[in-house]
Formats: sequence, structure tokens, C-alpha cells
Amino acid sequence: MRYPELERHAKLFGEYTELRVQENRISRIQILAGNVTNNETLAQGGVSARAFKNGVWGFASQPGSDDLSIARAVKLATENVRFLAGREKRGEAKLPARPGSGVHDLSTARTRVGQKGYMEFAKAIDARIAEKYPKLRSRFVAFSCLDMEKTVYVSDGGSSHSMTPRTFVYVDMTAESGADTVELGDIFGGRGQFEDVFSDPADLYAGIDAIYEQLMKKAEGVYPEAGLRDVVLGSDLAGILAHEAIGHTVEADLVLGGSVAADYLGKPVASELVTLVDYAHTALGKPCPIPVHVDDEGTEARDAVLIEKGILKGYLHNKETAGHFGHEPTGNARAYQFSDEPLVRMRNTAIVPGTSRLEDLIAGVDDGYYLLRPSNGQADSTSEFMFGVTLGYEIKKGKLGRGLRDTTISGVAFDMLKTVTALSDDMTWSCGGMCGKKQMIPVGMGGPAIRCKITIGGR
Amino acid sequence: MDKRETVEYALAAAKKAGADKAQALVTYSEKTELNVDAGRMSLLRTTGNVTLSVTAFRGGRKGAVTINKIDAASIDEAARNALALAATSEADDANDIAPAGAKREFDSGDSEPDLGAMYDRMAEFLAHAGAKHPIVKLEQCILDFTRNEKVFGNTNGAAFVDRLGAYEFTVMFTSKDGDKASSFNYSGGVFRKLDKPLAEWGALDELMRQSAEQTETDTVDGKFIGDLVITPHCMPEITEALKYVYLGNGTLIAGTSPWKDALGTRVASESFTLRSVPNSDRVHVADRFTADGFEAKDAAIIEKGVLKSFQLNLYGANKTGKPRAANSGDALVIDPGAEALASIIAGVERGILLCRFSGGQPSDNGDFSGVAKNSYLIEKGKIVRPISETMVAGNFTALLKNAIAVSKETVDFGHSSFPWIRFGGVTISGK
Repeated sequence: MRYPELERHAKLFGEYTELRVQENRISRIQILAGNVTNNETLAQGGVSARAFKNGVWGFASQPGSDDLSIARAVKLATENVRFLAGREKRGEAKLPARPGSGVHDLSTARTRVGQKGYMEFAKAIDARIAEKYPKLRSRFVAFSCLDMEKTVYVSDGGSSHSMTPRTFVYVDMTAESGADTVELGDIFGGRGQFEDVFSDPADLYAGIDAIYEQLMKKAEGVYPEAGLRDVVLGSDLAGILAHEAIGHTVEADLVLGGSVAADYLGKPVASELVTLVDYAHTALGKPCPIPVHVDDEGTEARDAVLIEKGILKGYLHNKETAGHFGHEPTGNARAYQFSDEPLVRMRNTAIVPGTSRLEDLIAGVDDGYYLLRPSNGQADSTSEFMFGVTLGYEIKKGKLGRGLRDTTISGVAFDMLKTVTALSDDMTWSCGGMCGKKQMIPVGMGGPAIRCKITIGGR
Repeated sequence: MDKRETVEYALAAAKKAGADKAQALVTYSEKTELNVDAGRMSLLRTTGNVTLSVTAFRGGRKGAVTINKIDAASIDEAARNALALAATSEADDANDIAPAGAKREFDSGDSEPDLGAMYDRMAEFLAHAGAKHPIVKLEQCILDFTRNEKVFGNTNGAAFVDRLGAYEFTVMFTSKDGDKASSFNYSGGVFRKLDKPLAEWGALDELMRQSAEQTETDTVDGKFIGDLVITPHCMPEITEALKYVYLGNGTLIAGTSPWKDALGTRVASESFTLRSVPNSDRVHVADRFTADGFEAKDAAIIEKGVLKSFQLNLYGANKTGKPRAANSGDALVIDPGAEALASIIAGVERGILLCRFSGGQPSDNGDFSGVAKNSYLIEKGKIVRPISETMVAGNFTALLKNAIAVSKETVDFGHSSFPWIRFGGVTISGK
């Protein structure tokens, strides 16, 4: 629920201050091998205040959003910043401002079905898998929705109310393969509350059938040959590459902390075919998975072009890093819980589609791999990355071959992106991305398929 | 209501709403946190919260609600909602709560932070790092003091209180020498007192020294089968794989764990002993009671290579018919061996000192692969050089049976304690 007139507490402010009232509401259901192993809701709400003085910050949070809690949070944040400023004895510092404002509420207008409806939906999916694929060794269905509702007021004039929901269903299957087992999962859903994302479980059946067919090929699959190979990365892998391997290295706080991107601004870091953007709220004319119109520092959020035609063009900023570099703030300051301070975070990071057809990308590989689905990913300040890959196929003479067992791919992103020879003309977003960096935060990751060279692990 | 009364009120509310069994946990938490970003003090943060979790059971159906309000009306609503969730679940005889036991209270650590000492220790660390490791860039340092008070009860009469205050320090850093940069690395620990310099926590000083020399790296030549000497910092890769692939609820209920029938049998080399010891003085933070209401006891998970315990909770044990774990599976220690680390490395013909591992999630069959980070090539018993773009692959089932030697040296992190272990038979490949 929107907190009305948050600005009336501005009289409590003694320094530059951000005030945020927030509640996160989560529903989770898990069905493992037909057993409901989790059925829960979680709600965490409260108020936080963050104050800035002479180059340092003070932060405090309290559960609840009554006047007393708000006054206590502001008082503690102010005391904290004055303690630290007093010890550090730095000179006066100012933060740049581009205040944003607005109400961006993505709550559904439909009648809510509640946890009972979610459970019926999840059970229907589980029952369908059990009935159609009785030979599976195990199956797992998870339902999750997160509503993040924030009201922000900042002493430089920024203010906003947002309700950003995300709902998804994860389906995972395990099959026998000789004496071994193989596993494959996929995720469905995205931006919005349940009622706006899902209607009929049958809408997911084609996707579930696809997981099964892919799993059967994986069960008969092979381990890839280790080494530097020609590959086509599907859009999910392009998205995680954009996020992990490039996005993190150009977060300006990490640039200050030693990221290799500090040396590359204005220099070529990728093929001229590659343009990479962290979109604020709208990409290619459509709303993004995690739209951010005003960030948690009250800054109007704008797209951040990170790589343009192969040249590193910019970083992701909060107010403080924008001030340090003399750049415009991008609106990338985001916090997960009411008790978290805003950090420089990605929003919707994607490689922009190219002009080739996916079939032609594959046809152009004589001996390599088509890699589709990541399990997890990590990247380094050097832009060296690693992604687990759970779904892929051989490419032999331009045609798809046998399935692959689980593997990993790795490389140095600023080298590997120079090997890109084609990008497909379509693009998809992954719908369940969560990024970890002191706090977790939902993010969007997307891209087209890309053809490049990459190091693949084998046995 | 005082803290115990709040839990009792929640249990009564659940019963009133129709539960035939219920459990409740109230957690009071206060954190004071000092942050360094890009080498400079940046933020002082204090947070307070109180959370209430009510789990209600009716006819074998279970529902759980967590909120951060503890007024009577909010508790009543949470209890009703937990029952409403339970009504949507499936009846399952495995759902249950712990029986009544001795009511226990635990109290450890300080009740308030020493903010002045926190600032001074952090300033000391920054000065030390700058002087001793000049090319190391401190990306982020976080020193916090957290005081938690957990109050638990269930309708069988189980009751626990655990008050714990502890300081936690984590540092993420990289090294930069001109245009050459190392991979990032991190370490730290959790301890009840600030009685030693932060550079000594989690062997940070040694890791920063290594980081400075890791700005110059090279990959290894070709592909070979070699040894891994896994460092204490990298050991959670193994303990996490054990939990999620071999020992935990998920794969044992699904029936996919490679060790589902291995209790009491040899699963690792005799030199490998892994324990969970929440009551040991060797760990400074641990769960003193389990989430389902049992007092946590110290227990071996693998002892001299023999599987002694799964990591099943009450539901998992009831569901699988296998024994319940004696604790939450935290406070992990691997027993040290008799050999010095230098001697262990001297015995390696060709392999890697694996200091950090960036890998995909291990497969259901225990297969793993990933990149060796912040690591070193070992040849003919000597550490040759730092490496990059080098992948390792293997299978945890086979790896544990190939534990060749365990070091007598350990690193204590406060939440765990691990030695160095040499494993054989791993695929190592360069570019």
C-alpha cells in the first residue's frame, strides 16, 4: 500500500537524507516428487533512512512505518553519518541530482486468486508431469512470487511510489541414464502478479514437453570436447554474459574497487556487432522485466549504454559514483529489503539483437556447440567469467547433433566479445534472474543468440 | 508481551485458528555495520528487526507465515493465514513437530557492539593493508556486530532461547599493477570478540599477499589428469556439494542421491573426517537448536571415510525412513591430518593449488567442472606460478575416495574450520 505524504517527515532531516518505506511480500510453493514440501508466505516491511555528509553515509532501518519508527530511523541515520564524518574528517562533498518522480504500480487489476489459486496451478502442473512422464526418476515444481513495494522521498526532491511484482514457476525433471541420472529444468513467467502472468496451466504444457524432450536427448548425450571452440550461445546465455561478465565489471563502485573496465573506457572491447545496454524500464519499445523509473536514491532512471558498436561507452552509477567520475547519474541505485541500503545494481541488461537468423548462425559452425541454458554464473573483476550450462547440442557441419551433459564455459569477456561474428535478429529476456552483491536483487537479463569462440569444459 | 509470551501467544493463536500442532519462532535482531568501499570508510549502518514465523499443521497439512510484526492482531492474522495455507497443502504423515524436551537457553557473545573498537580495528586494517600490500585494492570491507535473540516453542512443549552476539568481517579485494589485474578474492570470519587484528581473520594477510602476485598469470599447457590441493577457503565447494547432492532432504526424498543407500559404508578415504559441531569451542556461531525444534548435538557426518549421518531434517527423515540429523548441518569442521602442508605440496607431481573455484552447480551424479581462480600450478613438488583460464573437472564421489593427504594446519573462520586436502585424479585443462 502506498505510504501517503512521506515528504511530511522532511522536517526531521538534518543532512542530505533519503527516506524509504518498503514492504516485500513473497509467496512460495514447492512440490518435490509429488510432496508439498513448502507452502509459505513471507512479508517484511519497514522504514529506512540514509544520510550523507562530507563523503560518508549513515543508514538506519526499523520495522514498521509509524511516525515513531520513521523518526527513529532518521535520527539514527543522522547520528551514524555524523559519527563517521567526525572520525573521517573529510571535506564537504555534494551529490549530483536529477530528481525523478512518479507512481509506477504494476499491481493486477484482476481479482486475486491467493495462495489457494497458486497451489492449484502448481499441483496441476505437477500432476500433468506425473501422468504424462511416469518413467521420470523425480520431478520438482516451484512457484514463487515477489511483490516489492516502495515509497521513496529524498531531500533533493526525488520521490516515487512503485510496486514491482514478479511471478514464476520453475519445473525440473530428473531421468535415469544407465546407472546415472540427468536433470534439466526451465522457468516460466516474469513481470507481474500471478493473475497477469498465468491463466491456465495448459499454457505451460508445450514448454514442459520441451523440457522432457530435451532431457531425453541429454540422457543420451555426450560430454563436450574441452578447449576453445566455436559456439552459438542462446539468448539465455547471452543474457547472463551481458549481466555477469560485462555488467558487473562496469558497475562504477566496482570500477573504483579495481575492475579492469577502469582502463577500457572509450576503447574497443568487443566486435563492432556488439551493443550492450542496461535498460531502465523500456527496451525496443516494450516494458522490461524489472522496470525502474526512479531509483532508490530518487534519481530519474535512464538507459545506460555500456558498449556501443564494440566501444566501451559508460558505467552504471549511483549519485556518488556519478559525482566521482563527473558522469550523469544513471539511476542504478537499488535496495532489496527495507533494511538494505541502495547499491549500484543492474536493472535490465541486454545485448542488442543483430540482423542474422538463428538458423544461419548454426549453419555457419562446422564443428562446435549450440549452448542454450545456464545454471549459474560468476564473473571476475578481470571480466573472466564462468557459466554452468545444463542444455546444449553438438553442431556438426552446420547441423545440430547429439545432446550434451552438464558442462561449464569460461573466458575473458573483453576478449571473447571480440570473437563475435553474428547475432540473431530476435531477443528474449530471462524471467527469474536474481543477482547477488551484498544483497540479492531481481534483475532482467536478455539478448539474441550470438556466434563466437568460447572455452568449454569437458571430461 | 515479553518474548516468551509472544511465542506462547502465537502457538495459542494457531490452536485457536484450528491447528492440531504448531511451532513459532520469534527472532530479534540488531546489527551495527561499518563499511569500506574502494579502500575508504563509506557507511555506518544500524538495522533492527523482529520477525515471527508461525507454522501450523492440521490433519498432516502444513502452512507457514513469516511477518515482522508482533502485535496481537498481527499474530492472530498470521496464525489464521498459516492455517489457510495448510488447508491448500496435501496431507502428509511426514509433517510433524519435535517432541517436548528440556527447555534450554543459550547465551554467548556480547550484547552490545563496541563501535569505537570496530572503527579502530577497521582503521588498523586499512593502514596495515595499505602498507603491507600496496597494490591490493580493497573493493569492499564489512565489519558488523549482530545480536540475535531467537525464541522458539511448539505445541508439544519444546522451547529454546538462543542469544548470540558476534562480529563478522568480510573483505573482497583485487590487485592492480599498471594495467594488469588479479582475479578478486575474499575472506573473513565470524568471532565473538575483536581481540585480534582483522588481517588475521580467515588468513586474510596470506590471501592479500597471494593476490598481489596474481597480477601475472598464465594458463596451463594442454589437458592432464593431476592432483588438486584444495585450500580451506575453497573447501565449502565440497561441503556444499555434499549437502545438496548427497546428504540433504532434496535428493534423498527424490531418490537421486548417489549415497542414498550408503549409510555406514565407506564413501571417502580414511583420512577424511567431517563433523558438524555446533557446541564446540572451535566455532563461534552455530544454530543451537534446529528449525524443527530439536536441540543441536555435535555429530560426525563422515568419520574416517565412513558415512555416519545424512543431513535430513524431521520431515526428510520421516519421508525417507532414514535417521534425522543431530543438528542443522552448520558449524562444519574437517579433522586435520598429521602432514605439514609443505610436505603435501612436495608430494604432488603435477596439479593445482586450488584456492578458489568458480563452477557450475554439480550434477545429480556429482559431476563438477569450473574455473580455478586465484590458484597455482604445482609441478614436481613445487608451486610454480599463478594460473588463469584453467578448468578443472571431476566427480565428487570419486574425488572423496581419492583424498590422499590432509594437512595438520587449519584455518578457523569462526563458523567452520578446514585444513588443506590433496585429492588425486582430476581433469585439468588449459586453453
